[in-house]
Amino acid sequence: MAQPVAAQGATGAISLLSVWSDESVKVGEVLAALDELRRPEPMPPTRTSVLTLVIVAKQRAEAARAQAAVHELGGRHPARVLTLLFDGDRGGASGLDAELRLLGGEAEGHQVWFEEIELQVRGQASMHLDSLIEPFTLPDLPVVCWFVTELPDPEDPLLAAADVLVVDARQFGEAACFATLLTLARRQPVVDLSWARLMPWRSLLAGLFEGPDFRPFVTCVVRSEVWGRTGPCRLLGGWLADRLDLPLSAFELSAAPHVGLRLHARSPSGQAATFEVIRGDGRLVSARAAIAGGPESEAVLQLPEATPAWGLPEALSRLEHDRLYERALRRAVEL
Amino acid sequence: MTELPPNPLLEGLEGERRAPPCTLVVFGASGDLTARKLLPALERLARRRLLPTAFSVVGVARTEWTDEDFQAVAGEVVKDAAAQPQWTSLIKGFRYVAGEYGDPSTFERLRTVLDDLDRQRGTGGNRVFYLATVPGVFAPVAEALGAHGMARPGPGAFVRVVIEKPFGRDLPSAVALDDCLHQVFNENQLYRIDHYLGKETVQNVLALRFANAIFEPIWNRRYVDHVQITVAEAGGVGHRGGFYETAGALRDIVQNHVMQVLSLTAMEPPVTIDAKGIRDEKVKVLRAVKIFSPEEVSHNVVRGQYERGWVEGEEARAYREEEGIGPDSRTETFVAARLCIDNWRWAGVPFYLRTGKRLPKRVTEVAMQFRSVPHLPFPPGLARGLGPNALVLRIQPDEGITLRFGAKVPGQAFRVRTVSMDFSYGAAFVEESPEAYERLLLDAMAGDPTLFIRTDEVEQAWRICDPILEAWTADDAPLVPYRSGSWGPPAAERLLEREGRAWRNP
Ligand SMILES: NC(=O)c1ccc[n+]([C@@H]2O[C@H](COP(=O)([O-])OP(=O)(O)OC[C@H]3O[C@@H](n4cnc5c(N)ncnc54)[C@H](OP(=O)(O)O)[C@@H]3O)[C@@H](O)[C@H]2O)c1
Repeated sequence: MAQPVAAQGATGAISLLSVWSDESVKVGEVLAALDELRRPEPMPPTRTSVLTLVIVAKQRAEAARAQAAVHELGGRHPARVLTLLFDGDRGGASGLDAELRLLGGEAEGHQVWFEEIELQVRGQASMHLDSLIEPFTLPDLPVVCWFVTELPDPEDPLLAAADVLVVDARQFGEAACFATLLTLARRQPVVDLSWARLMPWRSLLAGLFEGPDFRPFVTCVVRSEVWGRTGPCRLLGGWLADRLDLPLSAFELSAAPHVGLRLHARSPSGQAATFEVIRGDGRLVSARAAIAGGPESEAVLQLPEATPAWGLPEALSRLEHDRLYERALRRAVEL
Repeated sequence: MTELPPNPLLEGLEGERRAPPCTLVVFGASGDLTARKLLPALERLARRRLLPTAFSVVGVARTEWTDEDFQAVAGEVVKDAAAQPQWTSLIKGFRYVAGEYGDPSTFERLRTVLDDLDRQRGTGGNRVFYLATVPGVFAPVAEALGAHGMARPGPGAFVRVVIEKPFGRDLPSAVALDDCLHQVFNENQLYRIDHYLGKETVQNVLALRFANAIFEPIWNRRYVDHVQITVAEAGGVGHRGGFYETAGALRDIVQNHVMQVLSLTAMEPPVTIDAKGIRDEKVKVLRAVKIFSPEEVSHNVVRGQYERGWVEGEEARAYREEEGIGPDSRTETFVAARLCIDNWRWAGVPFYLRTGKRLPKRVTEVAMQFRSVPHLPFPPGLARGLGPNALVLRIQPDEGITLRFGAKVPGQAFRVRTVSMDFSYGAAFVEESPEAYERLLLDAMAGDPTLFIRTDEVEQAWRICDPILEAWTADDAPLVPYRSGSWGPPAAERLLEREGRAWRNP
């Protein structure tokens, strides 16, 4: 599957068509309001949705960032968006405040529209978020739960209502987090935005080993330097360890603001070669392979803009178990 | 040569179709097609990271350019070079060989450049020669590549040739060109382009038919009344009048694009969706298309030429007033035809084709018109707005599928009317569809010939078109004028009317 072209084909603007909000409501009232919300709108010919996206957050600001990412995808990825906000206090009286927004946008000249449902969940009800998801899902479409504040506990009943989980390993870093991720990923598909954003590094590195001159070195990597923030750095290291079957002793991990890697290889005949993928200060990633005394090859790549939606469209286009990711996680736990 | 180890890093990447290291040699590098289609397609491939790291383009044409000139031309493909560093860095490796194709030294210099690139960039002796040049030099260029030892791949490497349309101007010339190419290359090295096959929605005809259980059972003479294929352009011939005078709509559109769309629509299910599976079935259905006798041509084919009129809010000249066209030109700019496919699936189901320039809008579609219900239980007055069911595959623009069916009009009476249910690819998928040339270039580099035309397909399509061309050479063969901005001459309407049918309004 081809990558979406990042720089072009950006989304058309999303506009707010109508809003409804109320405090201390019941789900039935929200559903009725949702029906009413659509009625006065002139009906676009099609209403294509591809998923129900549930954003689970503690703070409104965190949720807002995720919503902004969805708006950025806009018409390209019509989904019903349900935001569940819950504060830490689960002891008080249960209650729901709701806000509904009907949004419209354009995708390649077609009108699309989608609903955004935001529920502030209070008290005990926040321990039963799963019961709030089902009433709002669109029939037959996958339910994708995006955890923007923290990783869910693997025993959280909410997970049963989700087909796919979305997380971002960049927020985590501790080995313990990787262990939790691994447990989650073994049960149901996990889409990791960090992993999606690492695609250019993986792709550039893989490309360096193409061709009769460079390919033989893929079996004789002896040392591997990987740097970056803990989450992505470990993921990348885990992927290399798994793919190239490297022992942990071959790795040197270090902290850096941007992720990068350099592999040192030595052929049986003693020829040395290096393969590196490095992100400079800007959004340029350059890859270079050099065989001592032999051919060299180079490629550069411009990363898409660092907007909240970076990695999201790629991630959302594969809602299935990603065995490579799971294998990378397994090795990342050890690193 | 020892076997290379597999590359485990490639697994799971988007580039399952990633091209291996190679050099793309473009004959016609200074021409229109290269500037408008090939370079932009390469730029998009680069942006999608689908080009190999070890990759280069060598342009070959007469214009006296240096490497830097060619690189500058390639650089113009993007508006803002600073925003596209991957392209800017890629084109630094582009090379250019200036020379006449008739001059052997051109090919000697080309070979030196290719060998250099293999050494410096690791392109491994893999080459794709793209003939984006005038058809008259296809054969001489192929011969010269053979004569200079560039037609046969080295051990473990590949050499492929991509050939642009037109592939011949009738059956004998197509056969002659093939003979010439086959002297130098094997058929499996030849990639004949019909860019229609690179369009996502044309490929979607296959997905719709063979990935769904609900369409194929009704895809036959029991349920289908007739099929309409429309390839309409709003534009005229523009600056390409000189070229068009030697072609006409039948050669330019029907022999290739329409025949491809027809064969994908009508073919039997292939056993596998691979090059052989699909192309075998396409040829089979083309063989079933009835070939006309001269009398049948006049009865089943209409040819037209546009006159003045208004298209898309602008006044349009007549074809004979266009630049480079004589006042007595007899070149057709419109063809409508009624074809029959004589096999079990389609016997008795007419396939109506129409294509033309200066029609009201640019649209390509295939419409399956289904039979009416055997008995209508509604009082006649209440079902007046009801037409037969239709399934329309919209190929361009606005790619998608429309299903027309009857629905009850809200109210007390049981009044029924036709409504449309629309599906649009643009609104359902995140991925942007690759452009046709992007897809085809990548396929050629990756060695997948599925979307290219095999020699037997080309020849069979000419067998269908040749009798029509032949009949039109007669002095009294009718050429009917039509108003620019109309759907063609009235004779095209009559082709259907006399059988109680009518063209759709796409
Ligand atoms: N243009 C389109 O939109 C389009 C669409 C579909 C298919 N095609 C097909 O693509 C092919 C190319 O079309 P085009 O429109 O790009 O043609 P074009 O603009 O006329 O370009 C022809 C190219 O071939 C070179 N050339 C011709 N004869 C040569 C010779 N004897 N020695 C060296 N170079 C020679 C020309 O070089 P100089 O100019 O440097 O002399 C030029 O680069 C044709 O087969 C056409 O049918 C074109």
